[in-house]
Order: sequence, then C-alpha cells, then structure tokens
Amino acid sequence: MVAPLQPDKGKVDELTREFIAESQEGLERMELCLTELEKHPGERELVAEIFRAVHTIKGTTGFLGFARLEKLAHAGENLLAAVRDGKVIPTAEVVSGLLELMDGLRAILRLIETTGAEGARARDEDSRLIAMLAELKAGGSSGPTVVPAPAAAHLPPASALLADSPSATAVAINLEQATPLAPPPGAVEATATAMPAATPAVAAPSMPDKSLRIDVEVLNRMMNLVGDLVLTRNQILQCSPGAQNFPELARRLDSVTAELRESVMEARMQPVGHLFGKFPRMVRDLSKTCGRQVRLEFEGQETGLDKSLLEAIRDPLTHAVRNSVDHGIESPEDRIKAGKPAEGVLLLRAFHQSGWVVIEVIDDGAGISTERILAKAIERGLVTAERAPSMTEREILQLIFVAGFSTAKHVTNVSGRGVGMDVVRANVEKVGGNVDLESRLGFGTTIRLRVPLTLAIVPALVVRSGGASFALPQNSLVELVYAPLREAETVIERIGTAEVYRLRERLLPLVWLDRLLELEHQPSQDELGFYIAVVESEGRRFGLVVDDLMAPEEIVVKPLSSALREIGMFSGATVLGNGLLALILDVAATGARAGVRPMTDGSKSSEAEAETGRVRVQEAQMEMQRSMVIFEVHPGVRMAMPLSLVERIESVPVSEVEFAGGRAVLQYRGEVLPLEDEGEVLGSIGATSDGIRAPAQGRWIADKSSSASEDAQAAATVLICLRPGSHGMIRTAMVVRRVLDITAGTLLAEDAAGFSGQLAMVGDRVTTVHRAFTAGLSDQAATLQEVA
Amino acid sequence: MNSALERAAEFGAELGDKVSLCSLHSGPGLFGIDTRQIREVLGALKPQRVPLAPEYIAGVVPYRGEVLTTVCFRVLLGLPRLTRPRTVLVLDDEENEEHFGLVVDSVGGVVTMAHDALESNPSALDVRSMALFDGTYRMPSGLMVRLDPQRLRPSRLAESGFFAASKQEVKGERL
Repeated sequence: MVAPLQPDKGKVDELTREFIAESQEGLERMELCLTELEKHPGERELVAEIFRAVHTIKGTTGFLGFARLEKLAHAGENLLAAVRDGKVIPTAEVVSGLLELMDGLRAILRLIETTGAEGARARDEDSRLIAMLAELKAGGSSGPTVVPAPAAAHLPPASALLADSPSATAVAINLEQATPLAPPPGAVEATATAMPAATPAVAAPSMPDKSLRIDVEVLNRMMNLVGDLVLTRNQILQCSPGAQNFPELARRLDSVTAELRESVMEARMQPVGHLFGKFPRMVRDLSKTCGRQVRLEFEGQETGLDKSLLEAIRDPLTHAVRNSVDHGIESPEDRIKAGKPAEGVLLLRAFHQSGWVVIEVIDDGAGISTERILAKAIERGLVTAERAPSMTEREILQLIFVAGFSTAKHVTNVSGRGVGMDVVRANVEKVGGNVDLESRLGFGTTIRLRVPLTLAIVPALVVRSGGASFALPQNSLVELVYAPLREAETVIERIGTAEVYRLRERLLPLVWLDRLLELEHQPSQDELGFYIAVVESEGRRFGLVVDDLMAPEEIVVKPLSSALREIGMFSGATVLGNGLLALILDVAATGARAGVRPMTDGSKSSEAEAETGRVRVQEAQMEMQRSMVIFEVHPGVRMAMPLSLVERIESVPVSEVEFAGGRAVLQYRGEVLPLEDEGEVLGSIGATSDGIRAPAQGRWIADKSSSASEDAQAAATVLICLRPGSHGMIRTAMVVRRVLDITAGTLLAEDAAGFSGQLAMVGDRVTTVHRAFTAGLSDQAATLQEVA
Repeated sequence: MNSALERAAEFGAELGDKVSLCSLHSGPGLFGIDTRQIREVLGALKPQRVPLAPEYIAGVVPYRGEVLTTVCFRVLLGLPRLTRPRTVLVLDDEENEEHFGLVVDSVGGVVTMAHDALESNPSALDVRSMALFDGTYRMPSGLMVRLDPQRLRPSRLAESGFFAASKQEVKGERL
C-alpha cells in the first residue's frame, strides 16, 4: 500500500489527507508553542515540541514525495535543531522567522489539499524563506551560547515513534498517550482546522471537519455498551409477551441507551482550548498592527464543547477577539494616561453553566461609551432622538449588535466596517446561543457568548397547529399566553392588515402559524381559546398563535433532506415520544416570512413607541415595583399577592385533601396546613359539598357513584404562602381557581380612590390585593426572617 | 442515462442478460424498479405532511434514526393523492448519499426480464412522463414501465420544474 503518490486532478488520496490533517494539527501546536516561546525563551520543552512538529512533516513528506515541502521543512528543522541545542537564542526575530516558516508550510499544505500537488516549480518564494532561516541559524551560532544544556536529552522517547510517522499517519485513531503533547493535554484531539488569520477568505476546508480523534478508551466503552445493547435486544426478542422480567429488561435498555448516548456525546466533546489555540498568534499580529500591547490569558481551556459547535463559534469568537484588541484595549500611551499599565490584558474564559457553555472575552480597555453609541445610532437613524433619553444602558449596549453599526472613528482593516458584532450575534444565534455585552467605561468590556452543550438534543415545546405537531426550541421561547376566545375580539387589535396583541402595554405582532404554513384551520376541540407563544429570535419578537400546547420535550434533532430544507421554515425534524414526527420550526425564519421586522429597526414602528412608553413607566415605578402573583379565587375577579409571600404554587390532587374537624387540611412537607377555600373551588372541581360533609374516615374518598375516575384525577391549584398571624408569619395553603400570571406590579397608596382594601397596579389593570395579606406587607421583611 | 447503461453493463456481466425488477402499482399502471436500487420496502405508512413543501412530496417518515423524505408517485402521475397508509420504498440517492422514499399503492413481486427487452419511451410521450420513465417492458399481462430512482429524487424533481406547480395540472398520460 505504500507507494509514491500520484496526485490525481483535484483528488487527494486518503494517506495524503491524513497527512495533511496531522500536519495541520502539528502546526497548530507549533503556533501555540512559538508564541509561548517568545515569552519564555528558556523553555526547552517548547522547542522540542516545535521541533517534533516540523520533523514529522519532513519525515512524512519525503515518504509521500512532496519535495518542496520537504526542502522547506528541512531548512526549518536545521534552525530548530540549532535552537534546541542552544546554539541559537529564540529571539523575537527567530520566532518571527519560525512563524513565517509555519505560514509557508501551511500554504503548501493547503495547496496540496485543494489541488493534490504541492505547487508550481517556477515559484521560488521558498528559497527566500530558506535563505532567511539559514541566516538566522548562522547568525545565532556566531553569537554567545546562553542556553548550553543538552536539550536533546529532554526529548521524550516518543519522538522516535513520531519519526517513522508513516505508520502513524496510516491510522486515523492512534493512541495519544504515545505522544505526550504540551499544551492541549486532552486525550481527545481535534484535527487541525485553524487557518492563518491573514487569509480568512480561504474558509476552513471541509476535510479536517470530517475526522476526529477519539481516545481508544472511549471507543472501547462505546463498543462494550453496544455489546450490551445487542444482548438486551436479544433478550427482549426472546421474551414472551407479558414476561416477568420485561420491566427489568426495559430498565436495562433504558440505562444502556442513556450511557451510550453519554459516551457518544463525550466522544464528540472537544476542549475549547482547541479554539483558543489560534488566538495567541492572532493577537500578537493584531496588536502589532494596531500598536497595542496585549497580554492574552486563558481560563477553562479544558471546557468541553460539541465539535460541531466548536466550529460554529470559531468565527464569532474571532470577531469578538479582534474587536477587543482593536476597539477595546487602548494604545499604551492612553493607558498610561488613564493610570493603567501599558500592557492590556485580554482574558478568554470558558466555563459550563447550567447546560450552556459560556465563553467570555474580557478586556481591561476603555469600555464602551454609551453616549457615543447613542450619538452614532441617532446619526445612523437606528434610534430616534426622542426615544434615546429613555433607553436603558443595557438597551444602548445592545445597539452594537445591530447591523450596520460601528463606533470606530476610523475604518481600520482589522475591524470597524460595521459588519462585526451583528455577524457575531447572527452566527451565535444560529446555533441556539446568545451574545451579551457588559461594559464599564474606563474599566473594560466583556463579550459573553453562550452556546448550548450540543446541537443534537434540544429542549423544545411541542405545539399543535392545523392538525400537525411542531417543535419550538425553548431558547427562542419567551413566554406563553392563553387568549380565551371570548376575549379574542378585545385583546387582538388591528393596525392596517397587521394584527397585534397588547401584552403588558407592548404591542406584539401576531403570526398565525396555520395561516402562515397554509394549513387547513382545524378548530381546537373545545373552541375556548388559543395560545400565543411569545418568541424571540435574531431580534424579532412576535406572538405565534397556535391551537394547542403539548408537553415540553427534549427532542433529538434530525436533519431534513435538501428538498425540504429549501422551504426555509424548518430547521429539522424530530420523533416525538408518541412516535409521531414533528417538524422543528425555525423561529427567525418564521418571523421573517411573516414580515416581522427586527425590533431595533430604526423606524418609528408602533413597537418602538410601545417600547418607549413601557420603559418610561418602568423607570418611574422601578423602586416601588414588586413581583405579584395574579390569580382568581372567585370567577372573573383578579387578585394579587406579592410573590415574596408565596412559597410554592402546587397542583394538589383532590384525593390528597383531608378533613379534620370539619376543615380541609393539607399535608405539606410533614406539616399540616389549613386549607383556605374562599371561592369554594374544591366543591366545583369534584370535592362536592356532599363529599366535604362526609369525611367519615378522615381522608376524603371520592363518592363511587359519581364519576369517580374523574374526581380522583381532579387537581386543585394551591398557593402555599405566608400570612401574618399573631406570632409572626404562619404558613398556610389557599385554594385558588387558577393562577393567571406572575408579573411586576405596584402597590397603590392605601386610600387610593377611597377604597378600603389594598390595591395594586398590575400591568395596566387595578387589582385587589388579597385581604389576608395586606396587613403583613409593611412589616413583611422583618417577619419573614422570623419564619426562616 | 449513462449511469443506467453502466449499471446495466455491469449487471449483464453478472447475471447474463437478465435484470430483476420489483414490480409495483400506482393507480392503474404497473411499474418496475431494479431490485438492487431498492434499499428496503416499508409496510403501510402514513407520511407526515410537510407544510409548504411541493405537492409531490408525500411527507416525512422516520427511518433508522433518520428522517426520510418521501415522494408521492401518484402525484407525479397526476393522480389524486390517497389518504390511506401506503407502501414506502426506500431508494438510494447515489449522488448525495442520501436516501429518499417513494410512496406507491402496493408492491407486487420480483420479475426477471431480459436486459435487451427494454424499449425506449415512445416519442409521443408527454414531457412529464418522459422525465419519469426509463423505458418499457412488454409483459404477458401488459406493459411494465421501468423507473430509474435517480429520476425520482426530490432534488431532481425540483430541478426539472415539471412538477413544481400543483394539483390542477394536466394529468400525465400513461402508456
């Protein structure tokens, strides 16, 4: 199988592909080591690592017959050997030379990858590079030998294994332990994909994307699990219907599947460090062009992220880092003037946070001036001058992500063309993540990218519309609103042809999913109302009207064929728990198709107007506001209660309601709570007054003659709350008809409108505060502590 | 089609001049597909419709952890769609290494035909049928139209443009 390569037009054989992948990986390590080496010129290990990378390339190229590559690698190896032996000191010049060597090697590799050959023989640019490398080597050997130690002894024996690397390139998965690597210590090793920052036009080729290094341990475990799976399947197949051990088999199947899923996910996980790897070089070059002094620091490089996502956030992260160096960190003079050290610090930090991977780009630069943003935004017509004063700081910072926005005074070739941050946001949102920005003027800026751990499994809400099921990804879901049909006429307003819903003083554009998808309208069974799923994606916020809500599910995303992708409305499909297929709605595309404009659109849309009003009201009320639970005790009467007094909202099956001394009580966490039922809700949902009057055995049992099965399932909504008693706060349970909302509200002055009870302004409606709790409001804080 | 000829040539070397076809019915017509091009025959299924998809897309069905796009053969023939569950053939899409499904009324059996018995499409055939049919075999019971899965690929159907518009179109004439 080992034969000199005959490159076929456009085709690269497998051996060469592996060689390219491996070499790029080596060069990526080399890049990291080189930037490190500049800082710590004495590190022997670093030199050894670089030497190994170049040596491997040289060894393999000779064998594959790439003479040009071999020649260049050989020249580099000579210089590196001199550095390793201490004959040449790795000065900045030498490092620059080696970086150039690396770029040269990469360029040739790319050429091989695309054309199958290593390039025209006439182009002699290598000779200049080779001459330079020779010169550096010669220049060093005449100089003083400061690093005299026999560094060769430090080379791990594994380098010998690498030397005859034809064998190593022939296997896609080789035991990583054999080659102790310096910076990314993970056993899972990505094949190199980083392209030099200087040539972003050549997008990362698809080839390295397709291979992945996996620890043999992980693979073995997966194989064992597959074996287990097969055994379990065999047992299930042999199992007679109704067999005793069936539940046990099902359990085993469940656990094997879960474990298998986990280990496959683990195999796909790559440390974020791979992504960070290319930044030292990029920041080094960038800070030179921009005249900055930047120290790059990393934190949490080992944080794992799904490989596909790693690729997806490569560009956004690069943008963010460029932005921080160019716009964030000031020039050394400005920094000294501001009383900061001349060298700016750029910290790349990655960590896991509740099912998300968070990557932060933190600089200690000038921060972002909100005034400048506003001025620019008004100039660009992104915000109206009237609206500007009412915008919160956060809202202003969000403007940076609007397309066509750039605050740079001069357009540099690094960034400042106004196509930066909006691209960052769009790309991150495409994979279900989001971008956030925090800034303190004079102290620095933090750009925060949040991406889900994996793309394959997504929490989603299943909705029904026009008789079909659709999955809405949870990350675009803001809230759900139920609109009863009898209120539909009043809550839905028309502006021209558009329909809007008034949601807490904001006009929300409505999109009927069944109309948009040209489905036949199927009236929902009860015809009582419909649901509005308030969704937001890529700056578009709208209400999606659906017939019914189903259960939230963790869905496994399956790609659609190209013929269906072209429709542009669905990002995939999934098999639901009931075995049916559901299409996954692309929320951003849905909004775009329905003609919903992004919210920050500059024109004086009704949306923006509403926004202004809302913000003003909010600011005025900020101090007095508190979260309120809005509920109904008597039908149609809204009641409010401060959320701070509510411990839990429970759904209690009627069968769990007990009676003691003629009063309904509820066992709650080892406590017996009196159950208040002012609105006689219990009676209306099955615990009839007859039932209540006959608590013979203490526990209320549904009357068998009445529809017993229904009763057993009927549940009452119970608020477990604290109310002021004679000895501080006491815990009590209250049956309510239903909970309507949890929202911000303001308590009104006691004697407002000459009304005896306490009133609250919730949204735009005056609501009564439940009388039992009015007394405790004032001294609530003090008494709460007593209970605790 | 070159590829069809190549396949036929390679097949001829294997089995002499015979080709085995799976016969299938859609509407009143009898059709055949080379058995080697059929990956699997799935029993009665009801594909889940995809809103806004072209009319000839019957919908999607789950298949081995993938979501399979299916083409309704009846619609391609210009026949009304049936609502009852029907047979889905899983076919290979050689170019994209994707599979797709073909929804037919029912599947008959395997028939072996002499390779050179295939007669080309009559020149009077309408363009839509020309785009779909590979040729015809004379059977004792009547004609069997040979189908080439490559011509039934959803992406190919979209490109051809004959099937883009929906329902009201003229019914495809059958042989």
